[in-house]
Amino acid sequence: MAETDFSTLVGLVEHYSPSGDERLAVAWLVERMRALGFGEAFVDGGGNAVGVMGSGPRQVVLLGHIDTVPGEIPVRREGIPPHEILYGRGSVDAKGPLACFVDAVAQAGVTDGWQFVVIGAVEEERESDGARFVADQYRPDFAVIGEPNNWDRVALGYKGSAWAEVTLRREQSHTASGEQTAAEAAVEAWLAVKAYADTFNAEKSRVFDRLLPTLRGMESGQDGFEQWARLNIGCRLPVEVTPEAWYEKLVDVASDSHLGGDCHITVERVGYPVPAWEGEKNSSLVRAFLNGIRQTGGTPRFVYKTGTADSNVVGPVWRCPAVVYGPGDSSLDHTPDEHISLEECEKAVNVLTRALQVLAAK
Amino acid sequence: MITVSCPECAAEITLEESVEVNEIIVCPDCGVDLEVTALDPAEVELAPMEEEDWGE
Repeated sequence: MAETDFSTLVGLVEHYSPSGDERLAVAWLVERMRALGFGEAFVDGGGNAVGVMGSGPRQVVLLGHIDTVPGEIPVRREGIPPHEILYGRGSVDAKGPLACFVDAVAQAGVTDGWQFVVIGAVEEERESDGARFVADQYRPDFAVIGEPNNWDRVALGYKGSAWAEVTLRREQSHTASGEQTAAEAAVEAWLAVKAYADTFNAEKSRVFDRLLPTLRGMESGQDGFEQWARLNIGCRLPVEVTPEAWYEKLVDVASDSHLGGDCHITVERVGYPVPAWEGEKNSSLVRAFLNGIRQTGGTPRFVYKTGTADSNVVGPVWRCPAVVYGPGDSSLDHTPDEHISLEECEKAVNVLTRALQVLAAK
Repeated sequence: MITVSCPECAAEITLEESVEVNEIIVCPDCGVDLEVTALDPAEVELAPMEEEDWGE
């Protein structure tokens, strides 16, 4: 197993870069990739850090993200090697995986017939602006997306996500009239959405295949003429339900829920919905990762996630074999205790280096 | 012709000539996913476990 210098990871974590404020970290990473021998390294039109190794014609894009959630955590190393831990915002989500990409491509070096492109994308924690920019810039043969999943696990699926504001309005009525209020109709609408999801999910053993609606907010009001109530509903989507289909179903279910009422219902989309992404289990890319994990002494595992990642953005556009990979414990994502094991990072670099070599040898 | 034994149900499985190391195959008898971990001699193990997890 080749030894890993942790300079890339530590340097990235030391450059605190919450979404919208990634510029200095991007500049640092570009310089770091140049120093590691990438043939090209630059900031692209979307503000992402890009490093290119080799000239192709076959291409692997390794897409990590360089932004983090806000909340700076003092960067420090604790413990004694090989059990050393690095604390800092982004150490897990997802500078650990991004540093792994950079170091592995540097170790793999220029490989005849192949081009490895490492991207440190901006804004993943908000609306994935960086990934949306690169989605149209590349058509890779294989893609690796960087998120923490432990060094010996390969992620093959991320659920989709769609947010909506459901608003119910009706004419004002007297409180003694007994008529259903907009707020009451909203409660019924939410219960109907839950009931629909429960029915949909009844025969599905995997959480990955289920609808997971959540009520994230509720407010209501009135004036002399009108009452209104608004539900903020998010839903984690399975592969078989596109955001478009979910929004249509939301309109149907909410409308049917108050057939006896007089409410006017509107469903407004919030943010960028993304479809679920599921990778092919039996691709040469997956085989290369299984090989790398076994060669590094691990027993590989697959994982399907209920969250979203940039794979949801680029997957439907690139339509190539893809996996999500990276060291770290994703339960530490966004927590004040965010940290990563350096031993795990070193293993992940070896897995990825080996995977790239196996892939390129085919 | 390469044959292996399913570690789950002991069925004899004939591998295709084009099979690759780390390829996932399905046992025709019990339906379990298997990973080809070696070819000379051929060996198979239960394919990686599928887990579910929250988070990004």
